Amino acid sequence: MLPTSVILILREVLEAAFLVSMLAAVSHGLGLSRRWTGPGIGLGLLDAATYSLGIDTVSGWFDGVGQELVSATMQALTYLLLMGIALLVLRRARHQDARTGLIPALMALAVTLAVTREGFEILVYLYGFSSVIPQLLTVSMGAIIGAGIGISMGVLLYYLLCHPAIQRAPAIGFGLLALFGAGLLSQAIMLLIQADWLPSQLPLWDTTAWLPEDSITGQLLYVLVGYEATPTAIQVAFHFGGLLVLLVIAVLIGRSSSFPVNQENAL
Amino acid sequence: MTRRTDNTTLRTGWFVLIALGIFSAGPTRAEHPEFTIEIHNHLFLPAEIVIPANTKIKLVIYNRDATPEEFESYELNREKVIMGNRKSVIFIGPLAPRNYPFFGEFHPDTALGQIIVK
Repeated sequence: MLPTSVILILREVLEAAFLVSMLAAVSHGLGLSRRWTGPGIGLGLLDAATYSLGIDTVSGWFDGVGQELVSATMQALTYLLLMGIALLVLRRARHQDARTGLIPALMALAVTLAVTREGFEILVYLYGFSSVIPQLLTVSMGAIIGAGIGISMGVLLYYLLCHPAIQRAPAIGFGLLALFGAGLLSQAIMLLIQADWLPSQLPLWDTTAWLPEDSITGQLLYVLVGYEATPTAIQVAFHFGGLLVLLVIAVLIGRSSSFPVNQENAL
Repeated sequence: MTRRTDNTTLRTGWFVLIALGIFSAGPTRAEHPEFTIEIHNHLFLPAEIVIPANTKIKLVIYNRDATPEEFESYELNREKVIMGNRKSVIFIGPLAPRNYPFFGEFHPDTALGQIIVK
């Protein structure tokens, strides 16, 4: 039970932790405040608690596929927020536009959505053990260990992305965000297929033999870039289409010579 | 006058296009064969179901436990939380013939099963 809870919580925490790290590193590079992280995570936890209390109602929506639709909406919205952030950064880089108040707000919102989605699952999981105290203690211990590992990995990623060599090439940070965002979009499409709102097809290919989704590398890649061993054509189209859009913006940001790299704060 | 009529036609055209877009994005509403699985004491019953190949099916899962479970399968690309004493619906397929394991993520030691596609 303990290893199960560690792995389950680690998987959930990792996605939100990576997003916070990537956005915080981008803020750092832009010389923006990172004070949005606290409210973003806090609001996300509050939303997660509300969502887990209302999950019975939500699950019943749209003939029993409310859960899929709510999750897909949150993921697609996160993708759009990441695109908005990248576009605002590009405008700032090109026009020396000092008005950047919207960027931290969009970052906070993206983090809120990620924490809501992942936190909800953790809360529902823990709730399942709430009637048996010894079990609850064991899974809570697992939750703390899993969350600890996930947050540590996030912090590690943050410091890696804040390395001066990486900060000098802002396209790297935005490229990583592009891969992450496209993965979210692909997951949203998969949920719409699961809900029968999009037609399902036979998978285009199967890379399970090369890299199984349930392997450690497969799971890490799932969190980072939305790795899918057996994607369908619609999913692939949205995944790569979404990726292309964000990558183009990332390259444009990288090419903008006037990009204000925050050299003084570089670690 | 003619221009206004053109505009109206154009607007109606757009309206129809958008309505079609929204409609086509909605549920596909086709009839799919239905299969049922129950969760009892963190076990899937039956643990195996056989479904036809290249056919989309509607999997109805009844969670008879008081605790929540998460139906998960890497092979099927499916993931869904099912609260205690609730029913849930998951659409699966079309699939090529082979075995597709699934598990309950909250109790992966006991909640195991597979969908056999023939």
